[in-house]
Amino acid sequence: MFYGGIDVGSLTAQAVVLKDNSIYSFQSIPVKPNPVDSAAAVIEGALRDKGLTLKDLSFCVSTGYGREQIQKEGLAGENMSEISCHGKGAWWILPRVRTVIDIGGQDAKVIRVDQDGELVNFVMNDKCAAGTGRFLDVMSKTLGVTVEEIGPLSFSARQVIEMSSRCSIFCETEVHHYLQRGAGLADLAAGINRTMAGRVMALVRRVGIEKEVTMTGGVAKNPAVRRELEKAMGLKMLTYNVDSQLVGALGAALIARRLEEVKS
Amino acid sequence: MNNLNGTGKAQTTGLFSRVHGLFSVLKKLPDSLSAEELEGLIKVLPADSANSMKSLLKPSIQQASMPFLRMLIAALDETKAAKEQGYKVVLAPFNFPPEIIHAFDKLVPITTEVLTTLGVISLEGQGERYWELAMGLGLPDHLCSANTIDLGSMLSGMDFEPDAIISGCIGSCDVNSKTHEFVSLLMDLPQIALEKPPDNTERGFSFFKKNYYKMIRQLEELAGEELNDEKLRAVAIKVNRCTELYHDLWEMKKLVPCPVPGIFSLFVCATRFSMWGRDEGIKTLEQCLEVAKLNFKSDDYGSREEKARVLWIYLSYYYDLVKFYDWMEEHKISNMGDALQWAFPEPLDLTSRETILDGMIRSAWNNVMTRQMGAASMSQRWIEDIVYIIREWGVNGAIYCGHHSCKQTWSVFSITRNEVLKRTGVPTLGLQGDSWIRSMTPMSVIQEEVDQFVNNVINKRGRRKRRRTAGAAEL
Amino acid sequence: MDQLKELTGVIENSYVTAARAAGRKIVGYSCLSTPREVLDAAGIFPYRIKALGRAETEMADAYLSRFNCGFCRACLQLGLDGTYDFLDGIIETNGCDHLRGMFENWQYAAPRPFFHYIRVPHLVDQDSLEWFREEIELFIAATNKHFGAGIDDQKLQAAIDLQDKIAAAMRLIYESRFNNEIKVFGHEIIALSVAEGSLPAPDFLDLLKTFTGELEARRPLDCRARLFMGGAATDEIELIAELEQLGGLVTADSFCFGGRFFLREASAREPVKRLAEMYLNNLLCPRMFMSYPGRKAYIVDLIAKSKADGAVLFHNKFCDLHGIENVKLKMDLEKEGLPVLLLEKEYGAGADIGRMKTRVQAFLEQLKR
Repeated sequence: MFYGGIDVGSLTAQAVVLKDNSIYSFQSIPVKPNPVDSAAAVIEGALRDKGLTLKDLSFCVSTGYGREQIQKEGLAGENMSEISCHGKGAWWILPRVRTVIDIGGQDAKVIRVDQDGELVNFVMNDKCAAGTGRFLDVMSKTLGVTVEEIGPLSFSARQVIEMSSRCSIFCETEVHHYLQRGAGLADLAAGINRTMAGRVMALVRRVGIEKEVTMTGGVAKNPAVRRELEKAMGLKMLTYNVDSQLVGALGAALIARRLEEVKS
Repeated sequence: MNNLNGTGKAQTTGLFSRVHGLFSVLKKLPDSLSAEELEGLIKVLPADSANSMKSLLKPSIQQASMPFLRMLIAALDETKAAKEQGYKVVLAPFNFPPEIIHAFDKLVPITTEVLTTLGVISLEGQGERYWELAMGLGLPDHLCSANTIDLGSMLSGMDFEPDAIISGCIGSCDVNSKTHEFVSLLMDLPQIALEKPPDNTERGFSFFKKNYYKMIRQLEELAGEELNDEKLRAVAIKVNRCTELYHDLWEMKKLVPCPVPGIFSLFVCATRFSMWGRDEGIKTLEQCLEVAKLNFKSDDYGSREEKARVLWIYLSYYYDLVKFYDWMEEHKISNMGDALQWAFPEPLDLTSRETILDGMIRSAWNNVMTRQMGAASMSQRWIEDIVYIIREWGVNGAIYCGHHSCKQTWSVFSITRNEVLKRTGVPTLGLQGDSWIRSMTPMSVIQEEVDQFVNNVINKRGRRKRRRTAGAAEL
Repeated sequence: MDQLKELTGVIENSYVTAARAAGRKIVGYSCLSTPREVLDAAGIFPYRIKALGRAETEMADAYLSRFNCGFCRACLQLGLDGTYDFLDGIIETNGCDHLRGMFENWQYAAPRPFFHYIRVPHLVDQDSLEWFREEIELFIAATNKHFGAGIDDQKLQAAIDLQDKIAAAMRLIYESRFNNEIKVFGHEIIALSVAEGSLPAPDFLDLLKTFTGELEARRPLDCRARLFMGGAATDEIELIAELEQLGGLVTADSFCFGGRFFLREASAREPVKRLAEMYLNNLLCPRMFMSYPGRKAYIVDLIAKSKADGAVLFHNKFCDLHGIENVKLKMDLEKEGLPVLLLEKEYGAGADIGRMKTRVQAFLEQLKR
């Protein structure tokens, strides 16, 4: 039996197909203007890779942007919040995990789950760019590096040039100011990553931490932000081999399987 | 309730303990420091404290800033010692005049916003960690950092705890009152409410007076002592001396150029909020006046340039003393101070207990923020006061700092700016930021805006005629 | 119900038009602390100022700031753009700092012929009650003077009696959700509360009777979870309706436009004294100080009666009163074993509905519903 999960984010859409409690197929694509189109393209792409079609899915769950429309269009049988999906997905990969820090392109969430991966508590920021992937995006461009480079770059910093502002706009101005004065890119990158972690920690404090902790979403791939968060929390986060951007779709697929099992 | 940071990491100590510890070091300083000694001190202090001391202990104002610092240290020492001595500490917001508490033997006042400001100017990280603690509880980020920084520290369970909280802004500031109430509920501390009705008439005053007397009874119960007439009178005499000095400084501000350093606004308001009616408060104000007189009498006084006389019509910025006060001075902008110093005190009638208390109640009624934002019309009284001060001091530019949490002033700023311009011709610059947290609006942005305002707005409107008042010249 | 649709869809509804045509005066008020019986007794049509979830605030933003409550800005907008020109007067109460600013700016920029300020105490004790009683007397005197109203004790009593009947009828509808079968949505309660301030009292009583009748014929609603909702001053019926579409039905609330308006316990018999007691003692609002335990107890009792599975507490961005008290309430409700979701929202912002839905959906999933 195959189960599908579709997660449409702000920048990318993901799909995961489960079979026999493992990831059978997956796909990630840049989003299209219409979330339904993104959903269709990504799930069909993931299925096509294994010679499957939508009809082969026993059940599918949608999450993220436009999840309700995706369900209404028949691409999914149910929709779930991305909060539950990220929590469930992370827990399946790491059954000991109880706190999930998900930082996406335009939002950040901290999710607490129980021993069954069920949602216990959460907090979300989707209003302010500071503390989301968008912040790193803007800062990377200001430094003239890619968003993939800004993390590793800070490991060669001699010092951390702290940003004095919590606002992305002022931070950008501040970075320009430092660059004009000849500040090192690595030092600035270190400060940017620390600021990013600081904003996320504000969310973490609201929910509290229960070990073990892990990260999901695109920013989980930034080792510097990860390290700053670990320092601030005083612990090491668990790592895993699955693409961190697939966790939401994975969680959706897991929930699809559970819903189908409950029905039958 | 402990370790509310939710991270599993142990907290060190709270704001009060850290500030008290740091300021205790300053206790050991001599009465004056030479430039080299100051440089040496700055080198050993942490960066944020060093920055503040650079401004506070500048040679040109040291004569006043030393007693000012010692006054604050005395307030902190008394608070720390209170519990050991079996006294009770009463935490109150800035607009609550503390002299009534000084009139009790077994009560010690401490002011939330003074503690916050001391933390912001002296602690590494400027007390932001305590703000983060409060946010960690789920409190919204549109609260006022002025009290939330200190209260956040108290809520951590790692700080000193007062024995009672006075909610003194009921009727003049919702966020201040509600935050204090929240802390009293969470920490299970007795809350004493002092409400002012939005009514400027004698009827309103009578109601406020009733509330004030009720508060006295609650304080007596808390202290386990009755308000003593002799002690009350002794404090009242010193209150009157503070009032006298306040008005002398007021007169000095009429002189052109203004001989009163801008940072003295901070000294005056901190004195009003904490040690009004105390010898330490008197000494601070006396020395502020002396410094102003010395400035007035100095050889180069007459030739000093004064590009603008700028009045901060509500709050100003307190997180970078160098880049705020010193910067304005360097740029020849006379900082006429902010509204926190608008105590408008009147001498107390010492005839009897009733007349003294009546005077103290009037002071509370007329104290900053209570008087303006607690009035029937928030804008009307505020405008009247601004217009009065503009005329008194020859102000030619007004600035509204735009502290984001001041919902009441923000709600009538537009009316106020229009009316001030209409009635006085003085333009008002509107800024946006957080007066106690630097990470909201960088000081460089504030400086830029003030600079533009002074050069392109105030100065283009022409300079006001220089004048000297006969009264001030006799001081 | 078409009548309810009209009353919650337009500000200047057919009752307003009819009143104007008949030469009847209409006076606006905002806060639940306003003893509307005074206006009823004067033969004036009391109209509760609202914005019905509208988000445009361009004109209002020139007066109030972006740091002020969106609800107040939206109401001020309607005051400035002429929508509320039908009001012959407005009654200010010091509900909160934002509301005070709203009224000041309104009177500054687009003054109404009659303006009166009722100064409502923030504490409840004998002195405050006496003060408030005097304020109500002043309100009566001002109304009599301006409108030649001739309000007396008899008229006041008649108005009180009518409001008591309305409260009783409303309570029946409200508490019908406490049964195992739920036939009325939470957003309909808000709609009724919004309607209450949009038409004359006798007409509202008739509306309630019609609504009650229709209710009996309804089938029970599908309910995934029972929710208590509280907090923000909000007349955003659409928002609550959208959230209820997720399956969590609101079975009790403590909204300002909601379950607060029909609380009327009082022991005094004399009309003005009774009004003072009624309006001050039952003001279930965080603007009141030293009275949190009573509010909490009331809400805990309501949650138990309505069998709520969880609570959602809103505050409009920049509302410090609700924003702060919600946190304390959350802590206390969680101690009682009730899951709580805190939500900060923008008033009237359509974009915010999506954000709110994500969180409420997640909350329902958390409740395992």
